[in-house]
Amino acid sequence: MNLITITHKDGLAFDVRVRRRRIATDMSLAEGGQGKGFTPAELLAGGLGACMAMRVQAYCEERGYGGGDVSVSLAFEFLGKPKRIGAIVADIDLPAGFPEEEKEEVRRIAEAAVICETLRKPPHVDLDIQFDRNHQTDRKAVSA
Amino acid sequence: MDKIELGGKLIEIDEDGFIQDPDAWDEKVALDLAKTEAVDDMTEDHWKVVNYLREYYLEYNMAPMIRKVCKSTGFKLKEIYDLFPSGPAKGACKVAGLPKPTGCV
Repeated sequence: MNLITITHKDGLAFDVRVRRRRIATDMSLAEGGQGKGFTPAELLAGGLGACMAMRVQAYCEERGYGGGDVSVSLAFEFLGKPKRIGAIVADIDLPAGFPEEEKEEVRRIAEAAVICETLRKPPHVDLDIQFDRNHQTDRKAVSA
Repeated sequence: MDKIELGGKLIEIDEDGFIQDPDAWDEKVALDLAKTEAVDDMTEDHWKVVNYLREYYLEYNMAPMIRKVCKSTGFKLKEIYDLFPSGPAKGACKVAGLPKPTGCV
């Protein structure tokens, strides 16, 4: 498991980095950001969509429909108190010629995607708050 | 709250352009609201979504969930976003004269 780092750019904009890749994140203008990147909720929902798409694409290729592309369209809705994603709606578009009778198997494949299973059985988030010890040391030096 | 002219009437809107009094809505208001959502021409498909939202709201006093909109209108998710680029909540509900949905992103 590679380390994922989230570093501040400006305002509410942060970069998410892993394995030399970078994604810009930010909140929308309406939510106090500048709209310069994915919102965290969009990253989460997009991650779900990508995970399902990969599994279904692999399945299609195994079944001999590799000539076509799988795509996923996604939207989500928030609920309040506490504010959270309350519903995610995903449409999976299959390559042309994919047999309709395999639709339920595709659904089963998509629902077994890692991120989908993770959302069904959410993990414990183990949080540790850390302080910038260098900054504290500097403050001590100034007060002395 | 601001008041702007929509459909030839002065109507109160919130900071996101949603009308505050659903009874003030009519089709002329919808056409002006549509322009604020980059929809210059309201086609039969646009009206199908708007009319469904309006009927649902008048019956249940709330906006329907996205999947319900898709199933009831027969449009796929992507097609609804093609019709209303801001989406079913921010775009279509606004044009239909509903209050801003609580699930609005």
